[in-house]
Amino acid sequence: MDLNLGENEILKARIKQLELAMDVMVHSSSFLLPYNPAEETRYALVVLNQNLPRFTPLLWEHATLRLCADGGANRIYDELPLFFPHEDASSIRNRYKPDVIKGDMDSIRRDVLDFYVSLGTQVIDESHDQDTTDLDKCILYIRDSASNLESSRFQILATGALGGRFDHEAGNLNVLYRYPDTRIVLLSDDCLIQLLPKNHLHELHIQSSLEGPHCGLIPIGTPSAKTTTSGLKWDLSNTEMRFGGLISTSNLVKEEKITVESDSDLLWTISIKKTGLPLENNTP
Amino acid sequence: MDVMVHSSSFLLPYNPAEETRYALVVLNQNLPRFTPLLWEHATLRLCADGGANRIYDELPLFFPHEDASSIRYRYKPDVIKGDMDSIRRDVLDFYVSLGTQVIDESHDQDTTDLDKCILYIRDSASNLESSRFQILATGALGGRFDHEAGNLNVLYRYPDTRIVLLSDDCLIQLLPKNHLHELHIQSSLEGPHCGLIPIGTPSAKTTTSGLKWDLSNTEMRFGGLISTSNLVKEEKITVESDSDLLWTISIKKTGLPLENNTP
Repeated sequence: MDLNLGENEILKARIKQLELAMDVMVHSSSFLLPYNPAEETRYALVVLNQNLPRFTPLLWEHATLRLCADGGANRIYDELPLFFPHEDASSIRNRYKPDVIKGDMDSIRRDVLDFYVSLGTQVIDESHDQDTTDLDKCILYIRDSASNLESSRFQILATGALGGRFDHEAGNLNVLYRYPDTRIVLLSDDCLIQLLPKNHLHELHIQSSLEGPHCGLIPIGTPSAKTTTSGLKWDLSNTEMRFGGLISTSNLVKEEKITVESDSDLLWTISIKKTGLPLENNTP
Repeated sequence: MDVMVHSSSFLLPYNPAEETRYALVVLNQNLPRFTPLLWEHATLRLCADGGANRIYDELPLFFPHEDASSIRYRYKPDVIKGDMDSIRRDVLDFYVSLGTQVIDESHDQDTTDLDKCILYIRDSASNLESSRFQILATGALGGRFDHEAGNLNVLYRYPDTRIVLLSDDCLIQLLPKNHLHELHIQSSLEGPHCGLIPIGTPSAKTTTSGLKWDLSNTEMRFGGLISTSNLVKEEKITVESDSDLLWTISIKKTGLPLENNTP
Protein backbone atom coordinates (compact mmCIF):
# COMPACT_ATOMS: atom_id res chain seq x y z
CA MET A 1 0.00 0.00 0.00
CA ASP A 2 1.35 3.42 -0.89
CA LEU A 3 1.62 5.89 1.91
CA ASN A 4 0.51 9.28 0.71
CA LEU A 5 3.02 11.49 2.49
CA GLY A 6 1.12 14.66 1.64
CA GLU A 7 -2.03 13.37 3.31
CA ASN A 8 -0.03 12.19 6.27
CA GLU A 9 1.46 15.65 6.77
CA ILE A 10 -1.98 17.21 6.56
CA LEU A 11 -3.27 14.76 9.14
CA LYS A 12 -0.39 15.48 11.50
CA ALA A 13 -0.98 19.21 11.23
CA ARG A 14 -4.70 18.76 11.84
CA ILE A 15 -4.03 16.59 14.88
CA LYS A 16 -1.71 19.21 16.38
CA GLN A 17 -4.29 21.92 15.67
CA LEU A 18 -7.10 19.99 17.27
CA GLU A 19 -5.16 18.83 20.27
CA LEU A 20 -4.56 22.44 21.13
CA ALA A 21 -8.31 22.90 21.23
CA MET A 22 -10.15 21.58 24.21
CA ASP A 23 -12.08 18.36 24.27
CA VAL A 24 -11.39 17.13 20.78
CA MET A 25 -10.18 13.59 20.34
CA VAL A 26 -8.76 12.39 17.05
CA HIS A 27 -8.82 8.70 16.27
CA SER A 28 -7.14 6.77 13.51
CA SER A 29 -6.55 3.07 12.92
CA SER A 30 -3.12 3.72 11.49
CA PHE A 31 -1.82 0.74 13.46
CA LEU A 32 -3.40 -1.35 10.69
CA LEU A 33 -1.17 0.27 8.07
CA PRO A 34 1.70 -1.81 6.74
CA TYR A 35 4.06 1.12 7.05
CA ASN A 36 3.47 2.53 10.47
CA PRO A 37 4.52 6.15 11.10
CA ALA A 38 6.00 5.17 14.43
CA GLU A 39 5.82 8.55 16.05
CA GLU A 40 2.09 8.86 15.85
CA THR A 41 0.98 5.41 16.70
CA ARG A 42 2.99 4.02 19.54
CA TYR A 43 1.07 1.25 21.21
CA ALA A 44 1.18 -1.75 23.46
CA LEU A 45 -0.29 -5.02 22.23
CA VAL A 46 -2.16 -7.33 24.60
CA VAL A 47 -2.97 -10.82 23.36
CA LEU A 48 -5.89 -12.54 25.12
CA ASN A 49 -6.95 -16.17 24.87
CA GLN A 50 -8.92 -16.44 21.61
CA ASN A 51 -7.88 -17.27 18.03
CA LEU A 52 -5.36 -14.73 16.74
CA PRO A 53 -6.69 -12.30 14.12
CA ARG A 54 -4.92 -12.62 10.78
CA PHE A 55 -3.16 -9.24 11.17
CA THR A 56 -1.54 -10.20 14.49
CA PRO A 57 1.99 -10.42 13.00
CA LEU A 58 1.62 -6.85 11.67
CA LEU A 59 0.46 -5.52 15.05
CA TRP A 60 3.24 -7.44 16.78
CA GLU A 61 6.00 -5.99 14.56
CA HIS A 62 5.29 -2.37 15.39
CA ALA A 63 4.33 -2.68 19.03
CA THR A 64 6.29 -0.78 21.64
CA LEU A 65 5.39 -3.43 24.23
CA ARG A 66 4.00 -6.95 23.76
CA LEU A 67 2.03 -8.65 26.51
CA CYS A 68 0.27 -11.96 26.66
CA ALA A 69 -2.56 -12.24 29.14
CA ASP A 70 -2.25 -15.77 30.53
CA GLY A 71 -3.56 -18.19 27.85
CA GLY A 72 -2.83 -15.59 25.18
CA ALA A 73 0.69 -16.99 25.33
CA ASN A 74 -0.64 -20.37 24.19
CA ARG A 75 -2.15 -18.62 21.17
CA ILE A 76 1.15 -16.94 20.21
CA TYR A 77 2.99 -20.22 20.66
CA ASP A 78 0.48 -22.38 18.78
CA GLU A 79 -0.98 -20.08 16.15
CA LEU A 80 1.67 -17.59 15.04
CA PRO A 81 3.67 -20.29 13.22
CA LEU A 82 0.49 -21.06 11.23
CA PHE A 83 0.73 -17.59 9.64
CA PHE A 84 4.15 -18.57 8.26
CA PRO A 85 3.64 -22.06 6.86
CA HIS A 86 6.87 -21.94 4.88
CA GLU A 87 9.02 -21.13 7.86
CA ASP A 88 10.24 -23.27 10.68
CA ALA A 89 7.83 -23.07 13.64
CA SER A 90 10.65 -22.93 16.12
CA SER A 91 12.25 -19.88 14.51
CA ILE A 92 8.89 -18.11 14.46
CA ARG A 93 8.46 -18.80 18.17
CA ASN A 94 11.88 -17.43 18.93
CA ARG A 95 11.17 -14.34 16.87
CA TYR A 96 7.74 -13.55 18.33
CA LYS A 97 8.64 -13.41 21.98
CA PRO A 98 6.34 -11.56 24.40
CA ASP A 99 7.94 -8.98 26.67
CA VAL A 100 5.57 -9.86 29.51
CA ILE A 101 3.13 -12.61 30.41
CA LYS A 102 0.71 -11.47 33.08
CA GLY A 103 -2.48 -12.84 34.57
CA ASP A 104 -3.79 -15.44 36.94
CA MET A 105 -1.97 -18.25 35.11
CA ASP A 106 -4.84 -20.70 35.07
CA SER A 107 -4.84 -21.14 31.28
CA ILE A 108 -1.22 -20.97 30.14
CA ARG A 109 0.32 -24.35 29.40
CA ARG A 110 3.36 -25.39 31.37
CA ASP A 111 5.43 -26.05 28.26
CA VAL A 112 4.55 -22.63 26.81
CA LEU A 113 5.41 -20.86 30.07
CA ASP A 114 8.75 -22.65 30.35
CA PHE A 115 9.59 -21.81 26.74
CA TYR A 116 9.06 -18.09 27.10
CA VAL A 117 10.75 -17.96 30.50
CA SER A 118 13.81 -19.52 28.90
CA LEU A 119 13.75 -16.74 26.27
CA GLY A 120 13.68 -14.04 28.92
CA THR A 121 10.00 -13.07 28.92
CA GLN A 122 8.99 -11.44 32.19
CA VAL A 123 6.27 -13.46 33.91
CA ILE A 124 4.04 -11.73 36.45
CA ASP A 125 1.86 -14.17 38.32
CA GLU A 126 -1.28 -12.49 39.64
CA SER A 127 -3.13 -15.62 40.62
CA HIS A 128 -3.78 -14.16 44.06
CA ASP A 129 -5.92 -11.45 42.52
CA GLN A 130 -9.26 -12.83 41.42
CA ASP A 131 -11.04 -9.49 41.39
CA THR A 132 -9.73 -8.22 38.08
CA THR A 133 -9.80 -9.74 34.62
CA ASP A 134 -6.64 -10.66 32.73
CA LEU A 135 -7.14 -7.62 30.47
CA ASP A 136 -7.47 -5.38 33.55
CA LYS A 137 -4.19 -6.69 34.91
CA CYS A 138 -2.43 -5.94 31.64
CA ILE A 139 -3.88 -2.43 31.40
CA LEU A 140 -2.70 -1.68 34.93
CA TYR A 141 0.78 -2.96 34.11
CA ILE A 142 0.99 -0.78 31.00
CA ARG A 143 -0.25 2.30 32.83
CA ASP A 144 2.33 1.73 35.53
CA SER A 145 5.04 1.87 32.86
CA ALA A 146 4.62 5.64 32.99
CA SER A 147 6.97 6.55 30.18
CA ASN A 148 4.69 4.94 27.63
CA LEU A 149 1.87 7.24 28.49
CA GLU A 150 3.71 10.52 28.09
CA SER A 151 2.23 10.71 24.65
CA SER A 152 -1.52 11.28 24.82
CA ARG A 153 -1.78 9.31 21.63
CA PHE A 154 -0.37 6.09 23.09
CA GLN A 155 -2.81 3.25 22.54
CA ILE A 156 -3.38 -0.18 23.97
CA LEU A 157 -4.52 -2.71 21.36
CA ALA A 158 -6.04 -5.96 22.56
CA THR A 159 -6.82 -9.06 20.52
CA GLY A 160 -9.03 -11.91 21.68
CA ALA A 161 -11.26 -9.76 23.92
CA LEU A 162 -14.41 -10.62 21.96
CA GLY A 163 -16.20 -13.88 21.29
CA GLY A 164 -16.17 -16.90 23.55
CA ARG A 165 -18.00 -16.56 26.85
CA PHE A 166 -20.23 -13.50 26.90
CA ASP A 167 -19.46 -12.60 30.51
CA HIS A 168 -15.77 -12.41 29.55
CA GLU A 169 -16.63 -10.20 26.58
CA ALA A 170 -18.81 -7.94 28.75
CA GLY A 171 -16.03 -7.69 31.33
CA ASN A 172 -13.62 -6.65 28.55
CA LEU A 173 -16.06 -4.03 27.23
CA ASN A 174 -16.34 -2.76 30.79
CA VAL A 175 -12.56 -2.25 30.84
CA LEU A 176 -13.05 0.39 28.11
CA TYR A 177 -15.59 2.19 30.34
CA ARG A 178 -13.46 1.92 33.45
CA TYR A 179 -10.39 3.50 31.81
CA PRO A 180 -11.99 6.29 29.74
CA ASP A 181 -8.75 8.30 29.71
CA THR A 182 -6.77 5.46 28.17
CA ARG A 183 -7.02 4.76 24.45
CA ILE A 184 -7.85 1.06 24.29
CA VAL A 185 -8.89 -0.66 21.07
CA LEU A 186 -10.36 -4.17 21.02
CA LEU A 187 -9.63 -6.02 17.78
CA SER A 188 -10.94 -9.15 16.13
CA ASP A 189 -10.80 -10.50 12.58
CA ASP A 190 -14.15 -8.86 11.91
CA CYS A 191 -14.11 -5.50 13.64
CA LEU A 192 -12.60 -3.11 16.12
CA ILE A 193 -14.25 -1.44 19.12
CA GLN A 194 -13.22 1.64 21.05
CA LEU A 195 -14.78 3.97 23.58
CA LEU A 196 -15.78 7.50 22.56
CA PRO A 197 -15.97 9.30 25.91
CA LYS A 198 -18.96 11.58 26.37
CA ASN A 199 -18.84 15.33 25.98
CA HIS A 200 -15.91 15.29 23.57
CA LEU A 201 -15.97 16.04 19.88
CA HIS A 202 -14.57 12.93 18.24
CA GLU A 203 -12.97 12.90 14.80
CA LEU A 204 -12.50 9.44 13.34
CA HIS A 205 -10.15 9.29 10.37
CA ILE A 206 -11.13 6.23 8.38
CA GLN A 207 -8.50 4.11 6.61
CA SER A 208 -10.93 3.07 3.90
CA SER A 209 -8.66 0.46 2.34
CA LEU A 210 -8.53 -1.35 5.67
CA GLU A 211 -11.73 -0.69 7.58
CA GLY A 212 -15.42 -0.14 6.99
CA PRO A 213 -17.86 0.46 5.59
CA HIS A 214 -19.98 -1.27 8.25
CA CYS A 215 -20.05 0.58 11.54
CA GLY A 216 -22.12 1.34 14.59
CA LEU A 217 -22.45 3.46 17.72
CA ILE A 218 -23.60 1.50 20.73
CA PRO A 219 -24.80 3.14 23.98
CA ILE A 220 -23.63 0.32 26.22
CA GLY A 221 -24.16 1.01 29.88
CA THR A 222 -26.41 4.01 29.78
CA PRO A 223 -28.78 5.59 27.26
CA SER A 224 -27.81 8.66 25.27
CA ALA A 225 -30.24 11.55 25.23
CA LYS A 226 -28.43 13.33 22.38
CA THR A 227 -25.91 12.06 19.88
CA THR A 228 -24.88 13.91 16.72
CA THR A 229 -22.71 12.55 13.91
CA SER A 230 -21.44 13.48 10.46
CA GLY A 231 -20.03 11.35 7.67
CA LEU A 232 -22.25 8.31 8.16
CA LYS A 233 -24.90 6.96 5.80
CA TRP A 234 -27.49 7.41 8.55
CA ASP A 235 -26.27 10.34 10.60
CA LEU A 236 -27.70 11.14 14.01
CA SER A 237 -28.84 14.63 14.91
CA ASN A 238 -29.38 15.13 18.62
CA THR A 239 -30.86 11.65 18.43
CA GLU A 240 -31.73 9.58 21.43
CA MET A 241 -30.24 6.08 21.59
CA ARG A 242 -30.97 3.33 24.10
CA PHE A 243 -31.19 -0.43 24.44
CA GLY A 244 -34.85 -1.22 24.00
CA GLY A 245 -35.08 1.48 21.35
CA LEU A 246 -32.80 2.81 18.64
CA ILE A 247 -29.11 2.00 18.55
CA SER A 248 -26.94 2.63 15.51
CA THR A 249 -26.00 -0.70 13.94
CA SER A 250 -25.42 -1.74 10.32
CA ASN A 251 -24.55 1.89 9.60
CA LEU A 252 -22.05 2.78 6.86
CA VAL A 253 -19.17 5.24 6.72
CA LYS A 254 -19.56 7.57 3.75
CA GLU A 255 -16.78 10.07 4.37
CA GLU A 256 -13.14 9.64 5.32
CA LYS A 257 -13.76 11.73 8.43
CA ILE A 258 -16.54 10.86 10.82
CA THR A 259 -17.48 13.12 13.71
CA VAL A 260 -19.35 12.01 16.81
CA GLU A 261 -20.51 13.99 19.80
CA SER A 262 -22.66 12.55 22.58
CA ASP A 263 -23.83 13.20 26.12
CA SER A 264 -23.09 9.56 26.89
CA ASP A 265 -20.09 7.23 26.57
CA LEU A 266 -20.50 5.29 23.32
CA LEU A 267 -18.77 2.32 21.78
CA TRP A 268 -17.66 2.94 18.20
CA THR A 269 -17.30 -0.17 16.11
CA ILE A 270 -16.20 -0.57 12.50
CA SER A 271 -15.66 -3.64 10.36
CA ILE A 272 -12.19 -4.66 9.28
CA LYS A 273 -11.81 -5.58 5.63
CA LYS A 274 -10.98 -9.14 4.75
CA THR A 275 -8.88 -8.15 1.73
CA GLY A 276 -6.27 -5.48 1.30
CA LEU A 277 -4.91 -6.08 4.77
CA PRO A 278 -1.33 -7.35 4.75
CA LEU A 279 -0.47 -10.05 7.25
CA GLU A 280 2.84 -8.55 8.11
CA ASN A 281 5.00 -5.52 7.70
CA ASN A 282 5.90 -4.72 4.12
CA THR A 283 8.21 -1.76 4.42
CA PRO A 284 8.04 0.03 1.08
CA MET B 1 -44.07 -9.46 42.37
CA ASP B 2 -44.33 -11.47 39.18
CA VAL B 3 -42.25 -14.62 39.17
CA MET B 4 -40.61 -15.85 35.97
CA VAL B 5 -39.18 -19.35 35.92
CA HIS B 6 -36.38 -20.15 33.49
CA SER B 7 -34.86 -23.46 32.53
CA SER B 8 -32.50 -24.57 29.77
CA SER B 9 -34.34 -27.85 29.34
CA PHE B 10 -34.09 -27.43 25.58
CA LEU B 11 -30.50 -28.63 26.02
CA LEU B 12 -31.66 -31.96 27.46
CA PRO B 13 -31.41 -35.00 25.20
CA TYR B 14 -34.88 -36.10 26.17
CA ASN B 15 -37.04 -33.07 25.91
CA PRO B 16 -40.32 -32.97 27.85
CA ALA B 17 -42.08 -31.48 24.87
CA GLU B 18 -44.92 -29.90 26.71
CA GLU B 19 -42.77 -27.67 28.84
CA THR B 20 -40.30 -26.51 26.34
CA ARG B 21 -41.96 -25.75 23.06
CA TYR B 22 -39.77 -23.44 21.06
CA ALA B 23 -38.93 -22.02 17.68
CA LEU B 24 -35.35 -22.23 16.45
CA VAL B 25 -33.81 -19.38 14.45
CA VAL B 26 -30.48 -20.03 12.75
CA LEU B 27 -28.41 -16.93 11.96
CA ASN B 28 -25.30 -16.68 9.82
CA GLN B 29 -22.43 -17.88 12.02
CA ASN B 30 -20.86 -21.31 12.60
CA LEU B 31 -23.44 -23.74 13.97
CA PRO B 32 -23.02 -24.68 17.64
CA ARG B 33 -22.33 -28.38 18.15
CA PHE B 34 -25.77 -28.99 19.73
CA THR B 35 -27.66 -27.61 16.70
CA PRO B 36 -28.97 -31.06 15.63
CA LEU B 37 -30.44 -31.55 19.12
CA LEU B 38 -32.17 -28.16 19.07
CA TRP B 39 -33.42 -28.81 15.55
CA GLU B 40 -34.98 -32.18 16.42
CA HIS B 41 -37.29 -30.83 19.11
CA ALA B 42 -38.19 -27.48 17.61
CA THR B 43 -41.82 -26.65 16.91
CA LEU B 44 -40.75 -24.31 14.12
CA ARG B 45 -37.40 -24.00 12.32
CA LEU B 46 -36.39 -20.77 10.63
CA CYS B 47 -33.23 -19.73 8.86
CA ALA B 48 -32.47 -16.05 8.79
CA ASP B 49 -31.02 -15.44 5.32
CA GLY B 50 -27.43 -16.81 5.34
CA GLY B 51 -28.32 -19.10 8.22
CA ALA B 52 -29.61 -21.38 5.48
CA ASN B 53 -26.08 -21.61 4.05
CA ARG B 54 -24.92 -22.79 7.48
CA ILE B 55 -27.57 -25.53 7.70
CA TYR B 56 -26.78 -26.64 4.16
CA ASP B 57 -22.97 -26.60 4.54
CA GLU B 58 -22.36 -27.45 8.19
CA LEU B 59 -25.07 -29.82 9.39
CA PRO B 60 -23.70 -32.70 7.28
CA LEU B 61 -20.36 -32.18 9.08
CA PHE B 62 -22.00 -33.28 12.33
CA PHE B 63 -22.81 -36.63 10.69
CA PRO B 64 -19.59 -37.60 8.93
CA HIS B 65 -20.70 -41.20 8.47
CA GLU B 66 -23.90 -40.30 6.71
CA ASP B 67 -24.56 -39.11 3.21
CA ALA B 68 -24.59 -35.30 3.09
CA SER B 69 -27.53 -35.26 0.76
CA SER B 70 -29.73 -37.29 3.09
CA ILE B 71 -28.82 -35.00 6.01
CA ARG B 72 -29.85 -32.00 3.93
CA TYR B 73 -33.21 -33.56 3.16
CA ARG B 74 -33.79 -34.42 6.78
CA TYR B 75 -32.88 -31.02 8.20
CA LYS B 76 -35.19 -28.85 6.16
CA PRO B 77 -36.15 -25.39 7.46
CA ASP B 78 -39.83 -24.52 7.62
CA VAL B 79 -39.12 -20.91 6.70
CA ILE B 80 -36.28 -18.83 5.32
CA LYS B 81 -36.77 -15.14 6.02
CA GLY B 82 -34.65 -12.05 5.76
CA ASP B 83 -33.25 -9.60 3.28
CA MET B 84 -31.70 -12.37 1.17
CA ASP B 85 -28.34 -10.69 0.66
CA SER B 86 -26.32 -13.59 2.09
CA ILE B 87 -28.10 -16.80 1.10
CA ARG B 88 -26.50 -18.60 -1.83
CA ARG B 89 -28.59 -19.16 -4.93
CA ASP B 90 -28.00 -22.91 -4.92
CA VAL B 91 -28.99 -23.19 -1.26
CA LEU B 92 -32.15 -21.15 -1.83
CA ASP B 93 -33.16 -23.23 -4.83
CA PHE B 94 -32.55 -26.46 -2.92
CA TYR B 95 -34.80 -25.58 -0.01
CA VAL B 96 -37.49 -24.09 -2.26
CA SER B 97 -37.60 -27.38 -4.11
CA LEU B 98 -38.15 -29.15 -0.78
CA GLY B 99 -41.09 -26.91 0.08
CA THR B 100 -39.47 -24.46 2.52
CA GLN B 101 -41.42 -21.22 2.69
CA VAL B 102 -39.26 -18.29 1.60
CA ILE B 103 -40.18 -14.79 2.73
CA ASP B 104 -38.14 -12.14 1.01
CA GLU B 105 -37.93 -8.99 3.09
CA SER B 106 -35.22 -7.27 1.10
CA HIS B 107 -37.39 -4.15 0.91
CA ASP B 108 -37.13 -3.71 4.65
CA GLN B 109 -33.71 -2.46 5.63
CA ASP B 110 -34.76 -1.06 8.99
CA THR B 111 -34.85 -4.31 10.92
CA THR B 112 -32.25 -7.01 11.41
CA ASP B 113 -32.68 -10.57 10.16
CA LEU B 114 -33.30 -11.72 13.75
CA ASP B 115 -35.97 -9.02 14.15
CA LYS B 116 -37.74 -10.23 11.02
CA CYS B 117 -37.79 -13.79 12.32
CA ILE B 118 -39.06 -12.77 15.76
CA LEU B 119 -41.91 -10.82 14.13
CA TYR B 120 -42.80 -13.81 11.96
CA ILE B 121 -42.92 -16.14 14.97
CA ARG B 122 -45.01 -13.73 17.02
CA ASP B 123 -47.45 -13.41 14.15
CA SER B 124 -47.96 -17.18 14.24
CA ALA B 125 -50.22 -16.57 17.23
CA SER B 126 -50.92 -20.17 18.16
CA ASN B 127 -47.29 -20.67 19.17
CA LEU B 128 -47.53 -18.01 21.79
CA GLU B 129 -50.54 -19.32 23.64
CA SER B 130 -48.16 -20.91 26.07
CA SER B 131 -46.37 -18.32 28.15
CA ARG B 132 -43.44 -20.69 28.27
CA PHE B 133 -42.90 -20.72 24.51
CA GLN B 134 -39.33 -19.74 23.72
CA ILE B 135 -37.42 -18.54 20.71
CA LEU B 136 -33.90 -19.94 20.53
CA ALA B 137 -31.41 -18.29 18.20
CA THR B 138 -27.99 -19.54 17.17
CA GLY B 139 -25.33 -17.42 15.47
CA ALA B 140 -26.40 -14.13 17.06
CA LEU B 141 -23.04 -13.60 18.77
CA GLY B 142 -19.52 -13.21 17.44
CA GLY B 143 -18.60 -11.74 14.07
CA ARG B 144 -19.23 -8.03 13.64
CA PHE B 145 -19.87 -6.32 16.96
CA ASP B 146 -22.60 -4.04 15.58
CA HIS B 147 -24.52 -7.15 14.50
CA GLU B 148 -24.08 -8.67 17.95
CA ALA B 149 -25.23 -5.44 19.64
CA GLY B 150 -28.26 -5.30 17.36
CA ASN B 151 -29.13 -8.87 18.34
CA LEU B 152 -28.75 -8.11 22.06
CA ASN B 153 -31.03 -5.13 21.47
CA VAL B 154 -33.67 -7.52 20.10
CA LEU B 155 -33.84 -9.06 23.60
CA TYR B 156 -34.49 -5.60 25.07
CA ARG B 157 -37.04 -4.66 22.45
CA TYR B 158 -39.17 -7.77 23.01
CA PRO B 159 -39.07 -8.10 26.81
CA ASP B 160 -42.34 -10.07 26.87
CA THR B 161 -40.98 -12.74 24.54
CA ARG B 162 -38.64 -15.43 25.87
CA ILE B 163 -35.67 -15.29 23.52
CA VAL B 164 -32.44 -17.17 24.21
CA LEU B 165 -29.24 -16.50 22.25
CA LEU B 166 -26.99 -19.55 22.04
CA SER B 167 -23.40 -20.17 21.04
CA ASP B 168 -20.97 -23.02 21.61
CA ASP B 169 -19.72 -21.22 24.70
CA CYS B 170 -22.73 -19.72 26.42
CA LEU B 171 -26.34 -18.64 26.37
CA ILE B 172 -27.80 -15.19 26.98
CA GLN B 173 -31.32 -14.19 27.94
CA LEU B 174 -33.05 -11.09 29.23
CA LEU B 175 -34.28 -10.96 32.83
CA PRO B 176 -36.87 -8.18 32.71
CA LYS B 177 -36.78 -5.72 35.58
CA ASN B 178 -39.13 -5.81 38.54
CA HIS B 179 -39.75 -9.55 38.29
CA LEU B 180 -38.48 -12.24 40.63
CA HIS B 181 -36.56 -14.61 38.39
CA GLU B 182 -35.92 -18.25 39.23
CA LEU B 183 -33.29 -19.91 37.09
CA HIS B 184 -33.23 -23.69 37.28
CA ILE B 185 -29.73 -24.78 36.37
CA GLN B 186 -29.11 -27.98 34.38
CA SER B 187 -25.72 -28.52 35.98
CA SER B 188 -24.68 -31.36 33.69
CA LEU B 189 -25.11 -29.06 30.71
CA GLU B 190 -24.50 -25.48 31.80
CA GLY B 191 -22.38 -23.48 34.17
CA PRO B 192 -20.64 -22.89 36.40
CA HIS B 193 -19.45 -19.62 34.82
CA CYS B 194 -22.13 -16.97 34.72
CA GLY B 195 -22.78 -13.25 34.82
CA LEU B 196 -25.40 -10.52 35.09
CA ILE B 197 -24.85 -7.64 32.71
CA PRO B 198 -26.63 -4.24 32.85
CA ILE B 199 -26.10 -3.56 29.16
CA GLY B 200 -28.57 -0.80 28.55
CA THR B 201 -28.92 1.10 31.74
CA PRO B 202 -27.38 0.94 35.21
CA SER B 203 -29.03 -0.99 37.99
CA ALA B 204 -29.43 0.77 41.31
CA LYS B 205 -30.37 -2.43 43.14
CA THR B 206 -29.91 -6.06 42.18
CA THR B 207 -30.28 -8.98 44.57
CA THR B 208 -29.42 -12.61 43.89
CA SER B 209 -29.21 -15.97 45.61
CA GLY B 210 -27.40 -19.15 44.65
CA LEU B 211 -24.30 -17.54 43.15
CA LYS B 212 -20.74 -17.69 44.45
CA TRP B 213 -20.73 -13.90 44.70
CA ASP B 214 -24.32 -12.95 45.39
CA LEU B 215 -25.55 -9.38 45.05
CA SER B 216 -27.54 -7.71 47.79
CA ASN B 217 -29.25 -4.51 46.68
CA THR B 218 -26.00 -3.96 44.83
CA GLU B 219 -25.50 -1.24 42.27
CA MET B 220 -24.19 -2.37 38.89
CA ARG B 221 -23.10 -0.19 35.97
CA PHE B 222 -20.66 -0.10 33.08
CA GLY B 223 -17.74 1.92 34.33
CA GLY B 224 -18.15 0.27 37.72
CA LEU B 225 -19.14 -3.16 38.93
CA ILE B 226 -20.81 -5.69 36.67
CA SER B 227 -21.14 -9.35 37.57
CA THR B 228 -18.81 -11.39 35.37
CA SER B 229 -16.82 -14.57 36.01
CA ASN B 230 -19.37 -15.42 38.69
CA LEU B 231 -20.20 -19.04 39.50
CA VAL B 232 -23.48 -20.86 40.09
CA LYS B 233 -23.42 -22.68 43.43
CA GLU B 234 -27.01 -23.85 43.74
CA GLU B 235 -29.36 -25.53 41.30
CA LYS B 236 -31.78 -22.65 41.70
CA ILE B 237 -30.61 -19.09 41.21
CA THR B 238 -32.85 -16.12 41.99
CA VAL B 239 -32.42 -12.63 40.57
CA GLU B 240 -34.37 -9.48 41.20
CA SER B 241 -33.44 -6.09 39.80
CA ASP B 242 -34.77 -2.60 39.14
CA SER B 243 -33.20 -2.77 35.69
CA ASP B 244 -33.34 -5.13 32.71
CA LEU B 245 -30.33 -7.45 32.96
CA LEU B 246 -28.74 -9.95 30.64
CA TRP B 247 -28.18 -13.33 32.28
CA THR B 248 -25.41 -15.38 30.74
CA ILE B 249 -24.16 -18.84 31.63
CA SER B 250 -21.50 -21.03 30.07
CA ILE B 251 -22.43 -24.20 28.21
CA LYS B 252 -20.39 -27.25 29.06
CA LYS B 253 -18.15 -28.71 26.40
CA THR B 254 -18.65 -32.28 27.60
CA GLY B 255 -21.76 -34.13 28.62
CA LEU B 256 -23.78 -32.44 25.93
CA PRO B 257 -25.07 -34.87 23.33
CA LEU B 258 -25.01 -33.76 19.73
CA GLU B 259 -28.40 -35.19 18.96
CA ASN B 260 -31.45 -36.69 20.48
CA ASN B 261 -30.85 -39.86 22.43
CA THR B 262 -34.29 -40.91 23.54
CA PRO B 263 -33.81 -43.09 26.61
